[in-house]
Amino acid sequence: MREAIQVLYSVETKSLSKSFGAVNAVSDISFTVKAGEIFGFLGPNGAGKSTTIMILTTLLKPTSGHALVSGYDVMTHPKQVRQSIGYVQQESTVDEYLTGRENLLLQARLNHIPKDQINKKIDDILELIELSDKQNDPVITYSGGMRKRLDIAGGLLHQPKVLFLDEPTVGLDIQTRRKIWEYIKKIHKEFQMTIFLTTHYMEEADQLCDRIGIIDNGKIQVIDTPENMKNAMGNEIISLTFENENLGDFLSQLSQIDLVKKINKDNGKFTLFVSRGTEVIPKIFQISSALEIKITSISLTRPTLDDVFISYTGREIRDDDTGFNRKREHAKMKRLRT
Amino acid sequence: MNSLLYDTYTIFWRELKRYRKSRSGVLIRLIQPAIWIIVIGNTFSGTQPLIQSVGFEGQYIEFMAPGVIILTAIFTSIFGGVNTLWDRRYGFMNKALTSPISRSSIALGKMSAISLISALQASLILGIALAIGVNFPNPLMIAPIMAIVILFSLGFSGISVIVAATAKSQETFWGVINFLGMPLFMLSPALFPLELLPDWLATIAKFNPVTYTVLLVREMMTGVTEGGISALLSIGIILAFVLVMIGLASYVFTREVNKPF
Repeated sequence: MREAIQVLYSVETKSLSKSFGAVNAVSDISFTVKAGEIFGFLGPNGAGKSTTIMILTTLLKPTSGHALVSGYDVMTHPKQVRQSIGYVQQESTVDEYLTGRENLLLQARLNHIPKDQINKKIDDILELIELSDKQNDPVITYSGGMRKRLDIAGGLLHQPKVLFLDEPTVGLDIQTRRKIWEYIKKIHKEFQMTIFLTTHYMEEADQLCDRIGIIDNGKIQVIDTPENMKNAMGNEIISLTFENENLGDFLSQLSQIDLVKKINKDNGKFTLFVSRGTEVIPKIFQISSALEIKITSISLTRPTLDDVFISYTGREIRDDDTGFNRKREHAKMKRLRT
Repeated sequence: MNSLLYDTYTIFWRELKRYRKSRSGVLIRLIQPAIWIIVIGNTFSGTQPLIQSVGFEGQYIEFMAPGVIILTAIFTSIFGGVNTLWDRRYGFMNKALTSPISRSSIALGKMSAISLISALQASLILGIALAIGVNFPNPLMIAPIMAIVILFSLGFSGISVIVAATAKSQETFWGVINFLGMPLFMLSPALFPLELLPDWLATIAKFNPVTYTVLLVREMMTGVTEGGISALLSIGIILAFVLVMIGLASYVFTREVNKPF
């Protein structure tokens, strides 16, 4: 084993750019991922996510700029980078005709785990991902979720310092997805490694990530914690309907509440733009009962990461088959990963 | 160096595991050479006097059986690299490329697995040949014959790995491979003695590594040296061919996988 080198940043890019002919897939991005954090890397299809991951995992060489992974430059020390990382790709890459255990054995050998440790490590990881009882079955008999668990297990078998998870739950049902989240949290707690995760599911990023970076058009648009991002979006929205025709002072008293910023009136329905909505709601009830106004419904909407995402990328995240800009996306993706 | 061997073995192990689990292919790939040996071997049985004129004692089928063994080796090994394309398409290649193993070991592991598989297929054809009555005076020669087949296939699988690493699609791969495979077989004395080929064909054949492999294996099976080409010369040429292919395949593979697929 190599000596442990303490680095502050697990990933550090400086003015990193990659172009394919005239297309700038990644242009001049600089960001850091702290050691030990779960970093979410989000962006619409074709935004430059895959290109960035491929540079960080030494599969592509940048056109200009630098990228350091676990302290090593991907250009000058690719071998050291490869020794420091685990890479779990979006598609399942396990060999279907091999058993689960054989797949892990292959992974162990690819990553030069010393012979005398291989079996113990495989046993431990199989237990962690709860596949011990299926380890001798060919992977072709596994469900999608089991394959994904095996993929993830393969990526962390050699206990990399940085684990790249490229859309770990794409194509899985919601139960399986939640299960995978549990495993990701579990392995992060157990191995304390840095996790660099891409996803198209905002809920997933919200659930798992300490910090999130949003990339679009090859540029980093924002990096922050999910909480700060949502707060920065500002307003929460309270919608209100009521029975009474005559409202009296209701509207003016509502606008007296400190946290209420703006009220829209729309035939029998109020829309309040507020901050800290959960504190506003009790006050609304106090005012309404004093004025004997009967509220028929009330709802509080808080900004989601979806809103954050759309505000930075200007469009909702696109699936490959929505037809949106399909030709361009297709050409780009084909170039990147066929 | 040690780690190159270990990594090569890792890939070799994986390729063989995959081969073992796809048994249906083994028999299918035997059908074509079996047809060659049975149909062509009997169709041209009337050429026996021609064969005898250059010093062979037996039947035509005994003359061409070594050619078909090499045919099996040619096609098993030249097709063998196709899974490189699958590996690139389905992510195994990226998995291997982001692990600390060297790029050359991926190519070499594939080549060594292909050549072993090729020898297995060729030995089954040898079995079929013996079963249909091909006379094989010295059974002790089986081991060295297989060693030659493994060596030859190692070189030929290099062609396959090079084409697969360079081609971006299945269509390109099969196009190029079919363009190469059959001519390399035809432009050799596999079916007809070198001395009886027209001069220009014989000249071309002398630049073809298949020629020397066929002559060598045929000499090992029948004991006849053809056209004054000694076994030692053949071994030397085959070795040189293999070394060149190992170097070339490692180089081209490493260069190609570093480009985006």
